[in-house]
Amino acid sequence: MENAKISADSLSVGYKKPLIKDICFNVRGGEIMTLIGPNGSGKSTILKTIAGYLKKHGGDVYFEDSSAEKLSPNEKAKKLSVVLTERIKPELMTCRDVVETGRYPYTGRFGKLEQNDRDAVNRAVEMVEMSEFADCDFSEVSDGQRQRVMLARAVCQEPQILILDEPTSYLDIHHKIIFLEILRKLAAENKIAVIVSMHELDLAEKISDFTICIKNGAVAHSGKPEEIFTDDIIRELFDIPDELYKKYF
Amino acid sequence: MKRQTRTIAAFVGLIILLLLTLFINIFIGSAGISFSEVFHVLFAGTVDDTTSGIIWKIRIPRVLAALLLGGALSLSGYLLQMFFHNPIASPFVLGVSSGAKLTVALVMIAAVSRFRTVNSAVMILAAFTGSLISLGFVLLISKKMERMSMLVVCGIMIGYICSAITDFVITFADDSDIVNLHNWSVGTFSGMSMENLKVIAAVVITASAGTFLLSKPIGAYQLGESYAKNVGVKINFLRTALILLSGLLSACVTAFAGPVSFVGIAVPHIIRVLFKTSKPLILIPGCFLGGSIFCMLCDMLARTVFAPTELSISTVTAIFGAPVVITVLICRKRGEL
Repeated sequence: MENAKISADSLSVGYKKPLIKDICFNVRGGEIMTLIGPNGSGKSTILKTIAGYLKKHGGDVYFEDSSAEKLSPNEKAKKLSVVLTERIKPELMTCRDVVETGRYPYTGRFGKLEQNDRDAVNRAVEMVEMSEFADCDFSEVSDGQRQRVMLARAVCQEPQILILDEPTSYLDIHHKIIFLEILRKLAAENKIAVIVSMHELDLAEKISDFTICIKNGAVAHSGKPEEIFTDDIIRELFDIPDELYKKYF
Repeated sequence: MKRQTRTIAAFVGLIILLLLTLFINIFIGSAGISFSEVFHVLFAGTVDDTTSGIIWKIRIPRVLAALLLGGALSLSGYLLQMFFHNPIASPFVLGVSSGAKLTVALVMIAAVSRFRTVNSAVMILAAFTGSLISLGFVLLISKKMERMSMLVVCGIMIGYICSAITDFVITFADDSDIVNLHNWSVGTFSGMSMENLKVIAAVVITASAGTFLLSKPIGAYQLGESYAKNVGVKINFLRTALILLSGLLSACVTAFAGPVSFVGIAVPHIIRVLFKTSKPLILIPGCFLGGSIFCMLCDMLARTVFAPTELSISTVTAIFGAPVVITVLICRKRGEL
């Protein structure tokens, strides 16, 4: 069996006080793990802690075999990349310029791109189907395209692990599906371990290899999608009264 | 590659313009020295002592000061804009120049009354301290307030407080100090000595080279702190470096030329539009050249338009700089920039 690219061992996360305790998971290359749960349950907090933006309160995160906190910023950058909820508004940057920033860990003192860097950028841009718009200004493309550019940026960083925080939230259903399809392909082809938080339960069910449900400061359930996406678990996880659940699902 | 052609053309244009303004500044002045006389002084040795004195001791130090300090000011504004992700941040707007002005005024009064002169390194140190104190306040405020317009308003208020204290101090200073202080506190490139110039060159060139070495992390920082951190930028180091470098650059300007307005905001925007890029590797040298040209031109106007009466440099920079800032704000609202 292949080793896990990223794993957490009784990790506890939070801002000042521990918010969620005892998180455990293993994600192997090519697998997608989804985080679901109500607003404010702490999905982002978990992702931010794994990605190193927040200090953990206990437990450990491992990238392959090494403890995440022992890696230098540059080593870490080559292993893990992110697509975050915060919206960037760079000025006078083309989509390609934004993607190119992902090559940062690999370039020299002045960040000059070599041929292999440009190839990686081109591959990433093609993968997210943005070649046509690569030289458009980033502020002029649609939300869906922008999100794909951010994915391409993360991809050309050539990570082992990819973390995405609600990447599909602002997209219409067409772009949601395109985005997730690309993500699926990416995980499979590049053997990347993907951790993604989502609100779209129907889509999460289709894309996950493994799902963790967060509620009230704990991992409420975890397992394969067919075990998680059942009427009982979902109704309880999101506190939906019986009659409403029947009406809407 | 269309983009590359544009970059090269723009750099060539800027360098030609820089040399042109440099020479015009040396050839033109209120003393009425003819073209051929200046030429002789520059390239064929002396004509007579007064003429060569005017050229070598007045005009050349002054234009070189405008060149170096203009570049420094523009670069300092660029760095602050990057740091705060705020298009209208600049040393003048954020009260950094006024903070420097206050400490320099205090040091000048204290030192002149005791030792009659002030060492230029001490002046820079005083200005640097004042810059950092102002920046410290602005940073504290920026932690509490997210909105960039509020940051600017607070910066302007800090500027007013510092100016008020400076005026207060000047009111109670000795007569001899006041003459010195008044000239300087409105902003001027005049009265630059070669000794001053050496100090200016050392500080400005070092700080600008330091800035240039930070091009790569500054580029990544444009996508916001989180993404910068994700690609391995050492955020705390970068933020500290940005603050220290922009503080040092603007301190050097304030120490020798007094507060100069609008260069720090206007020039980086003109340069961005000119090069149509946000790559720091291009913008950093571009901003320096642009600031040099802008300040040399403004200084030329300041000393020639109403000669022999001189305008303060900020009068001229404001006339050309303020419309640029207004245009930037309008375009931004329309989402064009």
